[in-house]
Amino acid sequence: MLQEEREQGCIITFCSALDELLGGGVPLTKITEFCGAPGVGKTQMGMQLAIDVQIPSAFGGLGGEAVYIDTEGSFMVQRLEDMAKAAMEHCRHIATVENNREQLEAMANFTVEHILSRIHFYRVHDWVELVALVNILPEFLQQHPKVRLVVIDSIAFPFRHDFEDLSLRTRLLNGLAQNCIRLADSHKAAVVLVNQMTTKMGHSGDGQAHLVPALGESWGHASTIRVLLFWEAGCRYARLYKSPSREEATVPYQVTVAGIRDVCIPNNMQDLSTATKEEGDSLGEHSQRKRPRVS
Amino acid sequence: MSLRKLRRLGLEPELVDRLERHKKLSSCQDILEKIHLELLHLTNLTHSDVQKIVMTASRACAPTPTTALQMRQAGFSSGSTPFLSTSLPGLDQALHGGIPAGSVTEIAGPAGCGKTQFCIMLSVLATLPCEMGGLGGAVVYIDTESAFSAERLVEVAQGRCPQHFCSDDAFYKLTSQVYVHKTPTCTDLWNRLQCLEEELIEKRVRLVILDSVASVVRKEFDNSLRGNLSQRVKLLSKEAALLKYLAESLNIPVVVTNQITTRFNTSREGPHHDVLSGDLGAGNSAAVDGGYVTAALGNTWSHSVNTRLIVQYLDDKYREVMVAKSPIAPFSSFVYTIQSSGIVLQDDETIRKWSERVATDPGLIPIKVRTMLGQGGGLVVP
Repeated sequence: MLQEEREQGCIITFCSALDELLGGGVPLTKITEFCGAPGVGKTQMGMQLAIDVQIPSAFGGLGGEAVYIDTEGSFMVQRLEDMAKAAMEHCRHIATVENNREQLEAMANFTVEHILSRIHFYRVHDWVELVALVNILPEFLQQHPKVRLVVIDSIAFPFRHDFEDLSLRTRLLNGLAQNCIRLADSHKAAVVLVNQMTTKMGHSGDGQAHLVPALGESWGHASTIRVLLFWEAGCRYARLYKSPSREEATVPYQVTVAGIRDVCIPNNMQDLSTATKEEGDSLGEHSQRKRPRVS
Repeated sequence: MSLRKLRRLGLEPELVDRLERHKKLSSCQDILEKIHLELLHLTNLTHSDVQKIVMTASRACAPTPTTALQMRQAGFSSGSTPFLSTSLPGLDQALHGGIPAGSVTEIAGPAGCGKTQFCIMLSVLATLPCEMGGLGGAVVYIDTESAFSAERLVEVAQGRCPQHFCSDDAFYKLTSQVYVHKTPTCTDLWNRLQCLEEELIEKRVRLVILDSVASVVRKEFDNSLRGNLSQRVKLLSKEAALLKYLAESLNIPVVVTNQITTRFNTSREGPHHDVLSGDLGAGNSAAVDGGYVTAALGNTWSHSVNTRLIVQYLDDKYREVMVAKSPIAPFSSFVYTIQSSGIVLQDDETIRKWSERVATDPGLIPIKVRTMLGQGGGLVVP
């Protein structure tokens, strides 16, 4: 098992702080949940990961495909295109700078069209469609064995209205969670769930209302790893809320035209190429950690 | 889709009969909402048979996949514009074209700031032919506050595109394409929304405006009463889901307007909330003791809209529109004034006068409201 765990891959993002937080990236065979207030960047994160899973193995990525399940209607192809273009250019820059033949060859398959063609998109309108879809996903994944990521954006929306019977909702969510875990494990894929926040009245003396992840207490058990996204003082932060192997930490990130990226520290901002090279280095490091290069 | 009958799925007819008659399982939804053990018990079949039924029902209900590439190509070839240009160049550029079709856009702001003006302007633009940047179709305007004015519609049209609207004929065409429905209560609104789909198809509607979603809900639901809050949230979620469905299935933009509310740091008003305690210190970035003003209808509604534009006052004459939440645009803001031709963006000179706004939590952006005029332009900046 130890060996399996070591060999198991992660989906690296272009944000090294996030990768550090998660211990290498979004892990395969596990459920990772991103929750946060409206507008903080959850859909952006989902879209970014759908691109990152496709990073060719020459760069240290998984070279896989993605399934994106949209329940809210926030998915916009134009935005995905922008992010895909940025990702492609970033990788091409690294390949050119390092003059690595393997990487340059891999770029032939990493164009914007290729990236878009490897994201399988489902639009789901209510919980019945979602439950049905998760039931048949194993079949789909067998026909598309390269899929390494399933994003459900968001898991909360279909369950937050029209539910008089809360126990039915809990049952359905449990069933969904179990199916997702089984899916993640048997197909060696990462399942990323996007959750919303809800207002909870405080029980303690102050009577204050708090924002907590939606879908209730019992849902908290479903995901292996929970990341809370929030704003503070004009910057976005990601906090690791729950994880079996990493300790709690908070890191900053930003959403740019290119997607989710690290927050640049001021003295790097003048020289864009330095900043790119730094990120490039971190990508290079990853690839060295994962597969010792045969020279 | 979920109500699809089991009959139609191609299972053995006598099995379907038995399930329907004795166990009341007649639609796919009935099957999918039960867990495996329950189904085994109810149907008295073997494990693999039950599995087969569940999978058949699932296959019937699940949506079909497409790839992002196909979606992009479909967008190119469909000919229908993915965006409604707002004719405000800075805003259009930030939003990659304008108000996106197929999703719900919200305009929130204090009273009198220009939300209804914005909606009237969009109505005019939507009726323009595609060559002129419009959507070439009809508009459904659902008015809950009786704020719509046909006179103003004509005035904006005249001011905006004088060459196009030069004859009585053109005005007649414009006004006959904007369908206004007044829905002063929640039930009226809900009924109207439910029978909207037919009307949209029949009249070839290309834009739906709901002005405003907040006023009816706030009139009829008193948040301090127990149970009213959750009912309100449920109703809003249902409305949001229905509007999104209409937007997507017909690929049209849907615009709703919202009001503002005050939030206090120490919550004297129950539903208004603070972020997870311990994350922020004494308060949020722009809050002063007392509270701050932000978009109404709560957290769940904020999740439900896809794009959020916030309008606010800068001083008596100038107002500002901010892109607070958008899957495609970064945070940006533009200064405008309201004139006879509708909303007019101001140029860079004026914009530079106002300080740079730093992006922050769109739920917590402080919104300036207007106090009494004639007091030296006093503004309450919460």
